Amino acid sequence: MRDTTSSGARNDAIETLSGADLTAWQTDRLRQLASHAYREVPFYRELWDRAGVEPGRLRSLEDFARFPTISKDDLVRAGNVWTNPQQGSVAFSTRGTSGAPLLVWLSAEEEEAYIRPTMRGFRWAGFQSGMTALLMSPVWHRLAACEAHAIARLGGRCAFFWGSMGSEYTDSFLHTLSSERPEFITTTAPFLLSLIRRNTGATTRPHELFNGVRSVVVVGLPLTPRMREFLRDRLQVEDVFERGGTQEGAATDECQWHTAPHVHEDVCYLEVVDDAGIHVAPGLRGRLIVTKLTTAGSIFVRYDTGDIAAFAPGQCACGCGFRRLKIYGRPESSVLVGDRRITAYDVRMCVEEDPALVGRNVLLIQEANARAGILTVAVEGNAHDPAKLQARLRERLGVATAHMVWLGDLRVNWGFRQVLDGREIRLPRS
Amino acid sequence: MATENAYLLFDVPGGRLAFGDGDLDIWAEHLTWCYRMMGIPDGATIAVQDFGSSPISFLGSSLLMPGLQRGVAERIDGRFICLDASSERVTLTPALLAQLAVDVLVIRQDVIELLCAELHKKGFAELALRAMKTIVVFGDEPPAFNPARLLQPWRHLMHLESALLLAPQCMSCECFHLREGFYEVDGRIIRNLRLAAPDCNYDLPRGELLPPSHCAAGIRDWCIGWSPRERGI
Repeated sequence: MRDTTSSGARNDAIETLSGADLTAWQTDRLRQLASHAYREVPFYRELWDRAGVEPGRLRSLEDFARFPTISKDDLVRAGNVWTNPQQGSVAFSTRGTSGAPLLVWLSAEEEEAYIRPTMRGFRWAGFQSGMTALLMSPVWHRLAACEAHAIARLGGRCAFFWGSMGSEYTDSFLHTLSSERPEFITTTAPFLLSLIRRNTGATTRPHELFNGVRSVVVVGLPLTPRMREFLRDRLQVEDVFERGGTQEGAATDECQWHTAPHVHEDVCYLEVVDDAGIHVAPGLRGRLIVTKLTTAGSIFVRYDTGDIAAFAPGQCACGCGFRRLKIYGRPESSVLVGDRRITAYDVRMCVEEDPALVGRNVLLIQEANARAGILTVAVEGNAHDPAKLQARLRERLGVATAHMVWLGDLRVNWGFRQVLDGREIRLPRS
Repeated sequence: MATENAYLLFDVPGGRLAFGDGDLDIWAEHLTWCYRMMGIPDGATIAVQDFGSSPISFLGSSLLMPGLQRGVAERIDGRFICLDASSERVTLTPALLAQLAVDVLVIRQDVIELLCAELHKKGFAELALRAMKTIVVFGDEPPAFNPARLLQPWRHLMHLESALLLAPQCMSCECFHLREGFYEVDGRIIRNLRLAAPDCNYDLPRGELLPPSHCAAGIRDWCIGWSPRERGI
């Protein structure tokens, strides 16, 4: 049965806990989680015995930081040794962008824990009882499976289009958009950008189909401020919100201030560390480490996602005490230029300073010799003020040389892949 | 099935499905019946390579849909693996099948060739020889029988999305059962008795409709049979 009570309007008490109280609460949850994992999951017991850490003696976040980090390869290799007796009966796959995909299990108890933050995020994005939401496929992602439950509990209707999140399904999406007239949409940013590109110049402009849509919540690509404006402008929707999450348990949502997505600290504990594994200060980038706070589902304790992220410094004006985290990309959405790791997000920030270039697909080209200090960037369409752009890239990103490739009429799918090997595609150099 | 209180809306090829409270459990029970007609035992691990907006996916578990009290996984006390049917995700399936022994792979007919190619390409051909059974889901085209195909279909499941017609291939008679109480037959029209949608009748273009008493596995069911020629043999 649907729960259309006051849960939609109520703020969770945990959102306004003081920093110290939240830390104490999370430390307690981490101790429970680690004790469960040590007792029930052989992989963690063996790992932590080797590392000499004891869950029972975990008294602070500093203690927790001494637990070893793990990688996807560790878990793929572990196989059944990583099995949690309470892992549940439904599995989803990671996308396999960084090696072998991993099956991640979801249980009813864990899903229940994640529905509440999903409702919170949708509330922040303006969802109200009585609205219709056009949602992503529930089998696409573990977090997508929570979305329909959240919408139903908030008193809304859920609509689903036929197909999946590839650009070949944009017509199907538009069909459902025009027939169901939703006020709220969750989707991926690459999917929306594909849709805009495909319908530019069409008889029916995208914004006519989005008429009545108040909020769009996107995942899959970190939004730059100008990209958000571009989406708002082209679709003529009231607001666009960035949502984040990993199959391994990270969950983030933006509030109306759009300063950076808030971490749902009641379901996950996130850390950002440097190459030595030391926590970095807010504002500085490092690798994202995820710990899921429930003992149900697949257990992830100090899982190194490989994501490049940073906590936002200071407090958010919205009053929520949850930290804010921006995920900038992954190793596979960045290139090494000299000793600098440059993400596609960083490059888009530079490219989009020129209003004529906002909304164009931007790709990084992996050079055979990273030490040469050359950044190669491919941009859709014809050249526009290339000298200024190259100067901006050199100045902002600290690279010695920036090469531009203008793709002209060549269309590369907006997708999650943002880096191409220079040998994969024959590119005209300018 | 009343649609005025529907809050779950699915666009499907050729139509739209709308469900309210309690509706989904009727169809999860029916899909479970289909799996049992095809010989799937309780406790099975079922991997489904289909779109999330397909009932074969979203009826898989109560975790996937609000208002669904017990999906297929809960009804057979089994496990359900969500494998989206987009081409990007199909390429991942060989590696996932290598990680976990599934009992049944349910796959849309239109992506089976891609999966076979991926199995070949990635050197996972031996996976196809494991105990895993393959159920191929098809629409109104008779399933082709292709001996060269790597994943030899073990059963077929007929699925007409807009009519919510789910007819399993019987273990006994090899025909496709139209479950009594869910579907009725009038000439060549198959009518869904549990769906209030106006366009949920299906006009069977080919195949032979066999009246009840044809098969002991469902003595009151109508069945659809295809001649070997229509099955591409």
